[in-house]
Amino acid sequence: MTQPMGFFTDTTLCIGCKACEVACKEWNQLPAINGGANTLSGDSYDNTRKLDGENWRHVKFIEQFDPTDVRREGGRWLLMSDVCKHCVEAGCLEVCPTGAIFRSEFDTVVIQSDICNGCRYCIAACPFDVIGINPANNTAMKCTLCYDRLKGGLTPACAQACPTASIQFGPLTELKARASQRVEKLHQAGENRAYLYGVEGDGHTDQIGGLNAFFLLVDPPETYRLPTRPTLPSKGTVTGWLSGWGSALVAGVVGLLALRQRRITAIGAAESEPIVDDRPAVVAGGAPEVE
Amino acid sequence: MLTDRLNETHWTWLVYLEMFVAGVAAGAYVAATLLELSGRGRSPAARTAHLLAFPLMALAGLLLTVDLERPERFWHMIVQSDRGLPMLKPWSVMSLGSWLILAFSGVTFVSFVDALIDRGLFRLGGWRAGRTLHSSPLGLAWSVIGAGLGIAVAIYSGVLLSSSEFPGWSQLSTIPAVYVATALVTGVAAVVLIQALRGPLDPDTLSLERANLWLIGWWLVMVAFFVVSLVGRPDASIYLQSVPLLAILLAVVLAGILPLVLHLVQPMRRSGWLAVSSLLVLAGGFLLRYGIVMGPQLR
Repeated sequence: MTQPMGFFTDTTLCIGCKACEVACKEWNQLPAINGGANTLSGDSYDNTRKLDGENWRHVKFIEQFDPTDVRREGGRWLLMSDVCKHCVEAGCLEVCPTGAIFRSEFDTVVIQSDICNGCRYCIAACPFDVIGINPANNTAMKCTLCYDRLKGGLTPACAQACPTASIQFGPLTELKARASQRVEKLHQAGENRAYLYGVEGDGHTDQIGGLNAFFLLVDPPETYRLPTRPTLPSKGTVTGWLSGWGSALVAGVVGLLALRQRRITAIGAAESEPIVDDRPAVVAGGAPEVE
Repeated sequence: MLTDRLNETHWTWLVYLEMFVAGVAAGAYVAATLLELSGRGRSPAARTAHLLAFPLMALAGLLLTVDLERPERFWHMIVQSDRGLPMLKPWSVMSLGSWLILAFSGVTFVSFVDALIDRGLFRLGGWRAGRTLHSSPLGLAWSVIGAGLGIAVAIYSGVLLSSSEFPGWSQLSTIPAVYVATALVTGVAAVVLIQALRGPLDPDTLSLERANLWLIGWWLVMVAFFVVSLVGRPDASIYLQSVPLLAILLAVVLAGILPLVLHLVQPMRRSGWLAVSSLLVLAGGFLLRYGIVMGPQLR
Protein backbone atom coordinates (compact mmCIF):
# COMPACT_ATOMS: atom_id res chain seq x y z
CA MET A 1 0.00 0.00 0.00
CA THR A 2 1.20 3.49 -0.75
CA GLN A 3 1.06 5.92 2.14
CA PRO A 4 -2.47 6.81 3.35
CA MET A 5 -3.89 9.77 1.48
CA GLY A 6 -6.74 12.04 2.44
CA PHE A 7 -8.34 15.45 2.57
CA PHE A 8 -7.82 18.26 5.04
CA THR A 9 -10.74 20.68 4.73
CA ASP A 10 -10.10 24.01 6.42
CA THR A 11 -13.58 25.49 6.81
CA THR A 12 -12.17 28.92 7.71
CA LEU A 13 -10.84 29.26 4.16
CA CYS A 14 -14.00 28.21 2.32
CA ILE A 15 -15.73 31.02 0.42
CA GLY A 16 -18.71 28.95 -0.73
CA CYS A 17 -17.91 29.17 -4.44
CA LYS A 18 -18.93 25.52 -5.01
CA ALA A 19 -16.13 24.97 -7.51
CA CYS A 20 -15.50 21.68 -5.69
CA GLU A 21 -19.08 20.54 -6.30
CA VAL A 22 -18.87 21.40 -9.98
CA ALA A 23 -15.46 19.79 -10.46
CA CYS A 24 -16.65 16.64 -8.70
CA LYS A 25 -19.79 16.39 -10.80
CA GLU A 26 -17.85 16.99 -13.98
CA TRP A 27 -15.04 14.53 -13.37
CA ASN A 28 -17.24 11.78 -12.00
CA GLN A 29 -19.98 12.39 -14.57
CA LEU A 30 -22.64 12.70 -11.89
CA PRO A 31 -26.13 13.68 -13.01
CA ALA A 32 -27.69 17.02 -12.18
CA ILE A 33 -30.27 17.01 -9.39
CA ASN A 34 -33.74 16.27 -10.72
CA GLY A 35 -32.47 16.28 -14.31
CA GLY A 36 -31.34 19.90 -13.98
CA ALA A 37 -34.77 21.14 -12.94
CA ASN A 38 -33.75 21.61 -9.34
CA THR A 39 -35.80 23.86 -7.09
CA LEU A 40 -34.48 26.37 -4.60
CA SER A 41 -34.23 25.00 -1.08
CA GLY A 42 -34.76 28.30 0.71
CA ASP A 43 -31.86 27.32 2.96
CA SER A 44 -29.35 30.10 2.40
CA TYR A 45 -27.36 29.50 -0.81
CA ASP A 46 -27.50 25.74 -0.38
CA ASN A 47 -29.54 24.09 -3.10
CA THR A 48 -27.50 20.88 -3.11
CA ARG A 49 -28.96 20.11 0.32
CA LYS A 50 -27.02 16.95 1.17
CA LEU A 51 -24.40 14.42 0.26
CA ASP A 52 -25.85 11.41 -1.53
CA GLY A 53 -25.39 9.16 -4.55
CA GLU A 54 -25.27 12.04 -7.02
CA ASN A 55 -23.69 14.74 -4.83
CA TRP A 56 -20.28 13.71 -3.53
CA ARG A 57 -19.25 17.21 -2.45
CA HIS A 58 -21.66 19.53 -0.66
CA VAL A 59 -20.91 23.08 0.43
CA LYS A 60 -22.83 23.83 3.60
CA PHE A 61 -23.94 27.39 4.33
CA ILE A 62 -24.53 27.86 8.04
CA GLU A 63 -25.90 31.29 8.83
CA GLN A 64 -25.32 32.45 12.38
CA PHE A 65 -27.21 35.73 12.61
CA ASP A 66 -29.41 37.04 15.36
CA PRO A 67 -32.63 38.20 13.71
CA THR A 68 -33.03 40.88 16.39
CA ASP A 69 -29.58 42.31 15.62
CA VAL A 70 -30.49 44.58 12.70
CA ARG A 71 -26.90 45.74 12.21
CA ARG A 72 -25.69 42.14 11.97
CA GLU A 73 -22.56 42.95 13.89
CA GLY A 74 -22.16 39.65 15.68
CA GLY A 75 -23.22 37.38 12.86
CA ARG A 76 -21.14 35.11 10.68
CA TRP A 77 -21.40 32.56 7.96
CA LEU A 78 -19.83 29.16 8.46
CA LEU A 79 -18.98 27.52 5.17
CA MET A 80 -17.92 23.93 4.87
CA SER A 81 -17.29 21.72 1.88
CA ASP A 82 -18.49 18.36 3.15
CA VAL A 83 -17.44 15.01 1.72
CA CYS A 84 -17.21 11.31 2.59
CA LYS A 85 -14.89 11.01 5.56
CA HIS A 86 -13.13 7.82 4.38
CA CYS A 87 -13.26 6.64 8.01
CA VAL A 88 -10.30 4.69 9.35
CA GLU A 89 -12.85 2.13 10.55
CA ALA A 90 -15.66 2.51 8.04
CA GLY A 91 -19.19 1.38 8.90
CA CYS A 92 -20.17 1.07 5.23
CA LEU A 93 -17.19 -1.15 4.48
CA GLU A 94 -17.92 -3.26 7.52
CA VAL A 95 -21.56 -4.01 6.65
CA CYS A 96 -21.46 -4.29 2.84
CA PRO A 97 -22.65 -7.86 2.15
CA THR A 98 -21.45 -8.07 -1.46
CA GLY A 99 -17.86 -6.92 -1.11
CA ALA A 100 -18.65 -3.94 -3.33
CA ILE A 101 -16.97 -1.59 -0.84
CA PHE A 102 -13.24 -1.95 -0.42
CA ARG A 103 -10.32 -0.11 1.11
CA SER A 104 -7.96 1.02 -1.59
CA GLU A 105 -4.18 1.07 -1.63
CA PHE A 106 -4.47 4.78 -0.71
CA ASP A 107 -6.40 3.85 2.48
CA THR A 108 -9.56 5.37 1.03
CA VAL A 109 -12.99 3.71 0.97
CA VAL A 110 -14.42 3.04 -2.49
CA ILE A 111 -17.73 1.57 -3.71
CA GLN A 112 -17.58 -0.54 -6.89
CA SER A 113 -20.87 0.14 -8.60
CA ASP A 114 -20.55 -2.91 -10.84
CA ILE A 115 -20.73 -5.14 -7.75
CA CYS A 116 -23.21 -3.22 -5.55
CA ASN A 117 -26.72 -4.69 -5.71
CA GLY A 118 -28.41 -1.80 -3.94
CA CYS A 119 -29.33 -3.42 -0.63
CA ARG A 120 -28.96 0.02 1.03
CA TYR A 121 -27.40 -1.34 4.23
CA CYS A 122 -24.41 1.00 3.81
CA ILE A 123 -26.82 3.96 3.79
CA ALA A 124 -28.15 2.93 7.21
CA ALA A 125 -24.65 2.12 8.49
CA CYS A 126 -22.90 5.39 7.63
CA PRO A 127 -22.70 7.56 10.75
CA PHE A 128 -22.25 10.67 8.59
CA ASP A 129 -25.28 10.18 6.31
CA VAL A 130 -23.04 10.38 3.26
CA ILE A 131 -24.17 7.53 1.00
CA GLY A 132 -27.20 7.50 -1.26
CA ILE A 133 -28.54 5.67 -4.27
CA ASN A 134 -27.56 7.16 -7.60
CA PRO A 135 -30.67 6.96 -9.81
CA ALA A 136 -28.49 6.76 -12.91
CA ASN A 137 -27.39 3.21 -12.14
CA ASN A 138 -29.44 2.31 -9.03
CA THR A 139 -26.40 1.55 -6.89
CA ALA A 140 -25.10 3.12 -3.70
CA MET A 141 -22.52 5.76 -4.45
CA LYS A 142 -20.32 8.29 -2.69
CA CYS A 143 -16.98 10.07 -3.04
CA THR A 144 -14.19 7.72 -4.14
CA LEU A 145 -11.57 10.36 -3.35
CA CYS A 146 -11.10 10.27 -7.13
CA TYR A 147 -9.65 6.77 -7.05
CA ASP A 148 -9.13 6.85 -10.81
CA ARG A 149 -7.21 10.14 -10.62
CA LEU A 150 -5.13 8.90 -7.70
CA LYS A 151 -4.09 5.86 -9.68
CA GLY A 152 -2.98 8.22 -12.42
CA GLY A 153 -0.99 10.33 -9.95
CA LEU A 154 -3.45 13.23 -10.10
CA THR A 155 -5.00 15.32 -7.33
CA PRO A 156 -8.74 14.74 -6.71
CA ALA A 157 -10.88 17.06 -8.80
CA CYS A 158 -12.35 19.01 -5.87
CA ALA A 159 -8.98 19.79 -4.29
CA GLN A 160 -7.60 20.71 -7.70
CA ALA A 161 -10.46 23.13 -8.29
CA CYS A 162 -10.58 24.75 -4.82
CA PRO A 163 -9.38 28.34 -5.31
CA THR A 164 -8.62 29.05 -1.63
CA ALA A 165 -6.90 25.80 -0.61
CA SER A 166 -9.76 25.13 1.78
CA ILE A 167 -9.62 21.56 0.43
CA GLN A 168 -6.12 20.17 0.64
CA PHE A 169 -5.09 16.73 -0.56
CA GLY A 170 -1.99 14.77 0.29
CA PRO A 171 -0.37 12.14 2.51
CA LEU A 172 -2.19 12.09 5.85
CA THR A 173 0.91 12.58 7.99
CA GLU A 174 1.76 15.68 6.04
CA LEU A 175 -1.82 16.98 6.09
CA LYS A 176 -2.12 16.48 9.85
CA ALA A 177 1.09 18.38 10.52
CA ARG A 178 -0.10 21.18 8.30
CA ALA A 179 -3.52 21.21 9.97
CA SER A 180 -2.00 21.41 13.47
CA GLN A 181 0.09 24.39 12.40
CA ARG A 182 -3.00 26.05 10.99
CA VAL A 183 -4.90 25.59 14.26
CA GLU A 184 -1.99 27.08 16.17
CA LYS A 185 -1.88 30.02 13.80
CA LEU A 186 -5.61 30.65 14.23
CA HIS A 187 -5.29 30.46 18.01
CA GLN A 188 -2.48 33.00 17.87
CA ALA A 189 -4.70 35.22 15.73
CA GLY A 190 -7.41 35.09 18.38
CA GLU A 191 -9.67 32.41 16.88
CA ASN A 192 -9.51 30.13 19.89
CA ARG A 193 -12.51 28.09 18.78
CA ALA A 194 -10.52 26.42 15.99
CA TYR A 195 -9.95 22.69 16.38
CA LEU A 196 -9.52 19.57 14.26
CA TYR A 197 -12.36 17.06 13.81
CA GLY A 198 -11.28 13.61 12.66
CA VAL A 199 -7.75 13.28 14.05
CA GLU A 200 -6.50 11.08 16.88
CA GLY A 201 -7.45 12.36 20.30
CA ASP A 202 -10.00 14.87 19.05
CA GLY A 203 -12.51 13.52 21.58
CA HIS A 204 -15.05 12.91 18.82
CA THR A 205 -14.01 10.29 16.28
CA ASP A 206 -11.91 7.94 18.39
CA GLN A 207 -14.48 5.15 18.21
CA ILE A 208 -14.01 4.90 14.44
CA GLY A 209 -10.25 5.45 14.55
CA GLY A 210 -10.38 8.95 13.09
CA LEU A 211 -11.08 10.18 9.56
CA ASN A 212 -8.97 10.21 6.43
CA ALA A 213 -10.94 13.29 5.37
CA PHE A 214 -10.75 15.54 8.40
CA PHE A 215 -11.81 19.10 9.09
CA LEU A 216 -10.79 22.30 10.82
CA LEU A 217 -13.93 23.62 12.54
CA VAL A 218 -14.71 26.68 14.68
CA ASP A 219 -17.96 25.49 16.24
CA PRO A 220 -19.12 22.22 17.79
CA PRO A 221 -19.58 19.34 15.30
CA GLU A 222 -23.37 19.41 15.55
CA THR A 223 -23.37 22.98 14.17
CA TYR A 224 -21.97 21.52 10.95
CA ARG A 225 -24.37 18.57 11.14
CA LEU A 226 -21.56 16.22 12.09
CA PRO A 227 -22.09 13.53 14.77
CA THR A 228 -20.47 14.35 18.10
CA ARG A 229 -19.35 10.77 18.62
CA PRO A 230 -19.75 8.61 15.51
CA THR A 231 -19.74 4.87 16.13
CA LEU A 232 -19.53 1.69 14.13
CA PRO A 233 -22.83 -0.09 13.43
CA SER A 234 -21.38 -3.34 14.76
CA LYS A 235 -21.08 -1.84 18.22
CA GLY A 236 -24.37 -3.43 19.27
CA THR A 237 -24.25 -6.58 17.14
CA VAL A 238 -23.11 -9.02 19.83
CA THR A 239 -25.60 -7.61 22.35
CA GLY A 240 -28.32 -7.94 19.73
CA TRP A 241 -27.54 -11.60 19.04
CA LEU A 242 -27.34 -12.35 22.76
CA SER A 243 -30.67 -10.69 23.50
CA GLY A 244 -32.28 -12.56 20.61
CA TRP A 245 -30.92 -15.95 21.64
CA GLY A 246 -31.83 -15.26 25.27
CA SER A 247 -35.40 -14.51 24.30
CA ALA A 248 -35.54 -17.58 22.05
CA LEU A 249 -34.15 -19.83 24.77
CA VAL A 250 -36.77 -18.75 27.31
CA ALA A 251 -39.56 -19.03 24.72
CA GLY A 252 -38.33 -22.49 23.65
CA VAL A 253 -38.23 -23.80 27.20
CA VAL A 254 -41.65 -22.30 27.97
CA GLY A 255 -43.11 -23.80 24.79
CA LEU A 256 -41.57 -27.21 25.34
CA LEU A 257 -42.68 -27.36 28.97
CA ALA A 258 -46.22 -26.37 28.00
CA LEU A 259 -46.31 -29.03 25.30
CA ARG A 260 -44.82 -31.71 27.54
CA GLN A 261 -47.28 -30.88 30.30
CA ARG A 262 -50.15 -31.30 27.88
CA ARG A 263 -48.65 -34.53 26.63
CA ILE A 264 -48.37 -35.95 30.13
CA THR A 265 -51.93 -34.88 30.91
CA ALA A 266 -53.19 -36.48 27.73
CA ILE A 267 -51.41 -39.74 28.42
CA GLY A 268 -52.52 -39.81 32.05
CA ALA A 269 -56.14 -39.19 31.37
CA ALA A 270 -57.86 -39.15 28.04
CA GLU A 271 -59.32 -35.85 27.05
CA SER A 272 -62.41 -35.41 29.19
CA GLU A 273 -64.07 -32.92 26.90
CA PRO A 274 -65.02 -33.77 23.35
CA ILE A 275 -63.31 -31.74 20.66
CA VAL A 276 -65.87 -29.84 18.68
CA ASP A 277 -65.44 -29.18 15.02
CA ASP A 278 -67.93 -26.44 14.16
CA ARG A 279 -67.13 -26.33 10.46
CA PRO A 280 -69.54 -27.78 7.90
CA ALA A 281 -69.18 -31.53 7.52
CA VAL A 282 -66.82 -32.65 4.79
CA VAL A 283 -68.77 -34.38 2.08
CA ALA A 284 -67.55 -37.35 0.15
CA GLY A 285 -65.16 -36.29 -2.55
CA GLY A 286 -64.45 -33.01 -0.80
CA ALA A 287 -61.27 -31.91 0.86
CA PRO A 288 -59.46 -34.81 2.51
CA GLU A 289 -59.56 -34.98 6.24
CA VAL A 290 -56.42 -34.39 8.13
CA GLU A 291 -54.60 -37.53 9.14
CA MET B 1 -25.61 9.98 16.15
CA LEU B 2 -27.24 12.14 13.48
CA THR B 3 -30.94 12.22 14.31
CA ASP B 4 -31.96 14.17 11.22
CA ARG B 5 -30.83 11.83 8.48
CA LEU B 6 -31.47 13.00 4.95
CA ASN B 7 -30.66 9.79 3.05
CA GLU B 8 -33.44 7.27 3.57
CA THR B 9 -32.80 3.55 3.59
CA HIS B 10 -36.20 2.98 1.99
CA TRP B 11 -36.65 -0.29 3.85
CA THR B 12 -40.42 -0.23 3.56
CA TRP B 13 -43.26 -2.69 2.97
CA LEU B 14 -41.20 -5.29 1.15
CA VAL B 15 -38.82 -5.40 4.10
CA TYR B 16 -41.31 -5.64 6.95
CA LEU B 17 -43.42 -8.08 4.96
CA GLU B 18 -40.32 -10.22 4.43
CA MET B 19 -39.46 -10.06 8.12
CA PHE B 20 -43.00 -11.11 8.98
CA VAL B 21 -43.12 -13.95 6.44
CA ALA B 22 -39.67 -15.31 7.35
CA GLY B 23 -40.60 -15.01 11.02
CA VAL B 24 -43.77 -17.06 10.52
CA ALA B 25 -41.76 -19.70 8.64
CA ALA B 26 -39.16 -19.85 11.42
CA GLY B 27 -41.80 -19.96 14.14
CA ALA B 28 -43.73 -22.72 12.37
CA TYR B 29 -40.60 -24.83 11.95
CA VAL B 30 -39.66 -24.33 15.60
CA ALA B 31 -43.23 -25.32 16.58
CA ALA B 32 -42.88 -28.57 14.62
CA THR B 33 -39.57 -29.26 16.31
CA LEU B 34 -41.04 -28.62 19.75
CA LEU B 35 -43.84 -31.06 18.95
CA GLU B 36 -41.28 -33.66 17.91
CA LEU B 37 -39.15 -32.99 21.00
CA SER B 38 -42.18 -33.40 23.26
CA GLY B 39 -42.48 -36.99 22.08
CA ARG B 40 -45.28 -36.67 19.55
CA GLY B 41 -43.27 -37.68 16.50
CA ARG B 42 -44.37 -35.98 13.34
CA SER B 43 -47.93 -35.07 14.20
CA PRO B 44 -50.35 -33.62 11.62
CA ALA B 45 -49.62 -30.17 13.05
CA ALA B 46 -45.87 -30.71 12.59
CA ARG B 47 -46.44 -31.84 9.02
CA THR B 48 -48.50 -28.72 8.37
CA ALA B 49 -45.62 -26.64 9.73
CA HIS B 50 -43.20 -28.41 7.38
CA LEU B 51 -45.53 -27.81 4.44
CA LEU B 52 -45.80 -24.13 5.39
CA ALA B 53 -42.20 -23.17 6.18
CA PHE B 54 -40.56 -23.68 2.79
CA PRO B 55 -43.10 -21.78 0.63
CA LEU B 56 -42.92 -18.90 3.09
CA MET B 57 -39.12 -18.87 2.96
CA ALA B 58 -39.26 -18.91 -0.84
CA LEU B 59 -41.61 -15.93 -0.69
CA ALA B 60 -39.29 -14.17 1.79
CA GLY B 61 -36.33 -14.66 -0.54
CA LEU B 62 -38.37 -13.29 -3.43
CA LEU B 63 -39.39 -10.22 -1.41
CA LEU B 64 -35.78 -9.53 -0.43
CA THR B 65 -34.65 -9.87 -4.02
CA VAL B 66 -37.34 -7.56 -5.37
CA ASP B 67 -36.44 -4.99 -2.71
CA LEU B 68 -32.88 -4.66 -4.05
CA GLU B 69 -32.16 -1.68 -6.27
CA ARG B 70 -30.50 -4.14 -8.65
CA PRO B 71 -32.47 -7.40 -8.18
CA GLU B 72 -30.56 -9.18 -10.96
CA ARG B 73 -27.49 -8.98 -8.72
CA PHE B 74 -29.10 -10.79 -5.77
CA TRP B 75 -26.51 -13.56 -6.07
CA HIS B 76 -23.74 -11.11 -5.17
CA MET B 77 -24.84 -11.71 -1.56
CA ILE B 78 -23.66 -15.31 -1.78
CA VAL B 79 -21.02 -15.43 -4.52
CA GLN B 80 -18.15 -13.04 -5.19
CA SER B 81 -19.17 -11.70 -8.57
CA ASP B 82 -15.61 -11.24 -9.80
CA ARG B 83 -14.02 -14.45 -8.54
CA GLY B 84 -16.85 -16.91 -8.14
CA LEU B 85 -15.85 -17.71 -4.56
CA PRO B 86 -18.34 -17.75 -1.67
CA MET B 87 -19.14 -14.25 -0.41
CA LEU B 88 -19.33 -14.47 3.38
CA LYS B 89 -18.56 -11.70 5.87
CA PRO B 90 -19.68 -13.04 9.25
CA TRP B 91 -19.21 -9.61 10.83
CA SER B 92 -21.73 -8.13 8.38
CA VAL B 93 -25.20 -8.94 9.69
CA MET B 94 -26.71 -8.86 6.20
CA SER B 95 -24.05 -11.16 4.78
CA LEU B 96 -24.48 -13.64 7.61
CA GLY B 97 -28.27 -13.29 7.32
CA SER B 98 -28.17 -14.12 3.61
CA TRP B 99 -26.37 -17.38 4.38
CA LEU B 100 -28.75 -18.15 7.24
CA ILE B 101 -31.73 -17.61 4.97
CA LEU B 102 -30.16 -19.83 2.32
CA ALA B 103 -29.36 -22.59 4.82
CA PHE B 104 -32.77 -22.43 6.51
CA SER B 105 -34.51 -22.45 3.13
CA GLY B 106 -32.55 -25.58 2.25
CA VAL B 107 -33.55 -27.34 5.47
CA THR B 108 -37.21 -26.34 5.09
CA PHE B 109 -37.15 -27.54 1.48
CA VAL B 110 -36.05 -31.03 2.53
CA SER B 111 -38.71 -31.12 5.28
CA PHE B 112 -41.28 -29.85 2.78
CA VAL B 113 -40.49 -32.62 0.28
CA ASP B 114 -40.44 -35.11 3.14
CA ALA B 115 -43.92 -33.98 4.22
CA LEU B 116 -45.23 -34.35 0.66
CA ILE B 117 -43.75 -37.85 0.46
CA ASP B 118 -45.23 -38.62 3.87
CA ARG B 119 -48.63 -37.74 2.45
CA GLY B 120 -48.03 -40.26 -0.31
CA LEU B 121 -47.99 -37.70 -3.12
CA PHE B 122 -44.83 -39.18 -4.68
CA ARG B 123 -41.70 -41.14 -3.82
CA LEU B 124 -38.00 -40.73 -4.53
CA GLY B 125 -36.41 -44.17 -4.57
CA GLY B 126 -36.35 -45.44 -1.01
CA TRP B 127 -37.66 -42.13 0.24
CA ARG B 128 -41.33 -42.96 0.42
CA ALA B 129 -44.36 -42.79 2.72
CA GLY B 130 -43.63 -44.68 5.90
CA ARG B 131 -39.87 -44.28 5.39
CA THR B 132 -39.49 -40.54 5.61
CA LEU B 133 -36.74 -38.45 7.11
CA HIS B 134 -38.88 -37.16 9.96
CA SER B 135 -40.03 -40.64 10.91
CA SER B 136 -36.41 -41.67 11.47
CA PRO B 137 -34.04 -40.77 14.34
CA LEU B 138 -32.15 -38.55 11.90
CA GLY B 139 -35.33 -36.52 11.48
CA LEU B 140 -35.19 -35.19 15.01
CA ALA B 141 -31.59 -34.06 14.55
CA TRP B 142 -32.60 -32.45 11.25
CA SER B 143 -35.47 -30.66 13.00
CA VAL B 144 -33.23 -29.37 15.78
CA ILE B 145 -30.72 -28.02 13.26
CA GLY B 146 -33.54 -26.46 11.27
CA ALA B 147 -35.07 -24.89 14.37
CA GLY B 148 -31.69 -23.41 15.31
CA LEU B 149 -31.32 -21.94 11.84
CA GLY B 150 -34.92 -20.69 11.95
CA ILE B 151 -34.35 -18.94 15.24
CA ALA B 152 -31.16 -17.38 13.84
CA VAL B 153 -33.13 -16.14 10.81
CA ALA B 154 -35.77 -14.65 13.12
CA ILE B 155 -33.11 -12.92 15.24
CA TYR B 156 -30.97 -11.74 12.34
CA SER B 157 -33.51 -9.26 10.96
CA GLY B 158 -33.70 -7.59 14.37
CA VAL B 159 -29.90 -7.49 14.69
CA LEU B 160 -29.79 -6.01 11.19
CA LEU B 161 -31.83 -3.04 12.34
CA SER B 162 -29.95 -2.57 15.60
CA SER B 163 -26.56 -2.84 13.84
CA SER B 164 -27.02 0.37 11.97
CA GLU B 165 -26.57 4.06 12.56
CA PHE B 166 -30.19 4.80 11.75
CA PRO B 167 -31.84 6.72 14.61
CA GLY B 168 -34.52 4.61 16.27
CA TRP B 169 -32.86 1.31 15.35
CA SER B 170 -29.22 1.96 16.17
CA GLN B 171 -27.89 -0.09 19.10
CA LEU B 172 -31.45 -0.96 20.19
CA SER B 173 -30.67 -4.52 21.19
CA THR B 174 -34.20 -5.23 22.41
CA ILE B 175 -35.39 -5.40 18.79
CA PRO B 176 -33.93 -8.91 18.18
CA ALA B 177 -35.50 -10.15 21.43
CA VAL B 178 -38.97 -8.95 20.50
CA TYR B 179 -38.48 -10.10 16.88
CA VAL B 180 -37.76 -13.72 17.78
CA ALA B 181 -40.68 -13.79 20.21
CA THR B 182 -42.93 -12.40 17.46
CA ALA B 183 -41.69 -15.05 15.04
CA LEU B 184 -42.53 -17.84 17.46
CA VAL B 185 -46.06 -16.69 18.35
CA THR B 186 -46.97 -15.93 14.73
CA GLY B 187 -45.44 -19.18 13.49
CA VAL B 188 -47.43 -21.26 15.98
CA ALA B 189 -50.56 -19.22 15.20
CA ALA B 190 -50.15 -19.89 11.47
CA VAL B 191 -49.93 -23.66 12.04
CA VAL B 192 -52.95 -23.61 14.38
CA LEU B 193 -54.89 -21.50 11.88
CA ILE B 194 -54.28 -23.93 9.03
CA GLN B 195 -55.11 -26.91 11.21
CA ALA B 196 -58.32 -25.21 12.39
CA LEU B 197 -59.35 -24.47 8.81
CA ARG B 198 -58.54 -27.79 7.19
CA GLY B 199 -59.88 -30.53 9.39
CA PRO B 200 -61.10 -31.83 12.74
CA LEU B 201 -58.98 -30.53 15.57
CA ASP B 202 -56.45 -32.98 16.86
CA PRO B 203 -55.08 -32.96 20.42
CA ASP B 204 -51.66 -31.81 19.24
CA THR B 205 -53.09 -28.71 17.59
CA LEU B 206 -54.94 -27.90 20.81
CA SER B 207 -51.72 -28.43 22.76
CA LEU B 208 -49.93 -26.12 20.39
CA GLU B 209 -52.60 -23.48 20.86
CA ARG B 210 -52.34 -23.76 24.63
CA ALA B 211 -48.56 -23.55 24.47
CA ASN B 212 -48.90 -20.43 22.36
CA LEU B 213 -50.74 -18.74 25.22
CA TRP B 214 -47.55 -19.05 27.26
CA LEU B 215 -45.51 -17.82 24.33
CA ILE B 216 -47.85 -14.85 23.97
CA GLY B 217 -47.20 -14.10 27.62
CA TRP B 218 -43.46 -14.10 26.91
CA TRP B 219 -44.01 -11.98 23.82
CA LEU B 220 -45.86 -9.38 25.92
CA VAL B 221 -42.92 -9.32 28.33
CA MET B 222 -40.56 -8.75 25.39
CA VAL B 223 -42.74 -5.94 24.00
CA ALA B 224 -42.72 -4.31 27.43
CA PHE B 225 -38.94 -4.81 27.55
CA PHE B 226 -38.69 -3.10 24.16
CA VAL B 227 -40.83 -0.13 25.22
CA VAL B 228 -38.82 0.31 28.44
CA SER B 229 -35.59 0.30 26.41
CA LEU B 230 -36.85 3.38 24.54
CA VAL B 231 -36.75 5.46 27.71
CA GLY B 232 -33.86 7.89 27.66
CA ARG B 233 -33.34 7.44 23.93
CA PRO B 234 -34.37 10.71 22.22
CA ASP B 235 -33.78 9.15 18.79
CA ALA B 236 -36.23 6.34 19.60
CA SER B 237 -38.99 8.58 20.94
CA ILE B 238 -40.62 8.31 17.49
CA TYR B 239 -41.95 4.89 18.55
CA LEU B 240 -44.02 6.59 21.20
CA GLN B 241 -45.68 8.98 18.77
CA SER B 242 -48.67 8.81 16.40
CA VAL B 243 -48.56 5.98 13.83
CA PRO B 244 -45.77 3.81 15.33
CA LEU B 245 -47.34 4.05 18.79
CA LEU B 246 -50.75 3.16 17.38
CA ALA B 247 -49.26 0.18 15.52
CA ILE B 248 -47.51 -1.14 18.63
CA LEU B 249 -50.56 -0.62 20.87
CA LEU B 250 -52.82 -2.30 18.34
CA ALA B 251 -50.33 -5.16 18.04
CA VAL B 252 -50.43 -5.69 21.81
CA VAL B 253 -54.23 -5.70 21.81
CA LEU B 254 -54.60 -7.99 18.77
CA ALA B 255 -51.80 -10.47 19.36
CA GLY B 256 -51.60 -10.27 23.14
CA ILE B 257 -54.68 -9.24 25.03
CA LEU B 258 -57.51 -10.41 22.76
CA PRO B 259 -56.28 -14.01 22.29
CA LEU B 260 -55.79 -14.37 26.05
CA VAL B 261 -59.24 -12.93 26.79
CA LEU B 262 -60.80 -15.11 24.08
CA HIS B 263 -59.21 -18.13 25.65
CA LEU B 264 -60.58 -17.23 29.07
CA VAL B 265 -64.14 -16.55 27.97
CA GLN B 266 -64.35 -19.18 25.26
CA PRO B 267 -62.42 -22.40 25.81
CA MET B 268 -60.66 -23.03 22.53
CA ARG B 269 -62.23 -26.28 21.56
CA ARG B 270 -64.01 -24.96 18.51
CA SER B 271 -62.07 -24.59 15.30
CA GLY B 272 -63.80 -21.29 14.46
CA TRP B 273 -62.60 -19.64 17.63
CA LEU B 274 -59.14 -21.06 17.19
CA ALA B 275 -58.98 -19.60 13.69
CA VAL B 276 -60.10 -16.18 14.92
CA SER B 277 -57.59 -16.20 17.76
CA SER B 278 -54.77 -17.24 15.41
CA LEU B 279 -55.68 -14.57 12.89
CA LEU B 280 -55.54 -11.95 15.63
CA VAL B 281 -52.05 -13.09 16.62
CA LEU B 282 -50.88 -12.96 13.00
CA ALA B 283 -52.36 -9.49 12.49
CA GLY B 284 -50.77 -8.23 15.70
CA GLY B 285 -47.39 -9.68 14.80
CA PHE B 286 -47.54 -8.01 11.40
CA LEU B 287 -48.43 -4.65 12.96
CA LEU B 288 -45.51 -4.87 15.37
CA ARG B 289 -43.10 -5.48 12.47
CA TYR B 290 -44.63 -2.53 10.68
CA GLY B 291 -44.27 -0.27 13.73
CA ILE B 292 -40.64 -1.19 14.38
CA VAL B 293 -39.47 -1.00 10.76
CA MET B 294 -41.47 2.02 9.65
CA GLY B 295 -41.56 4.01 12.89
CA PRO B 296 -38.13 5.61 12.60
CA GLN B 297 -38.59 6.07 8.84
CA LEU B 298 -41.82 8.05 9.30
CA ARG B 299 -39.89 10.83 11.05
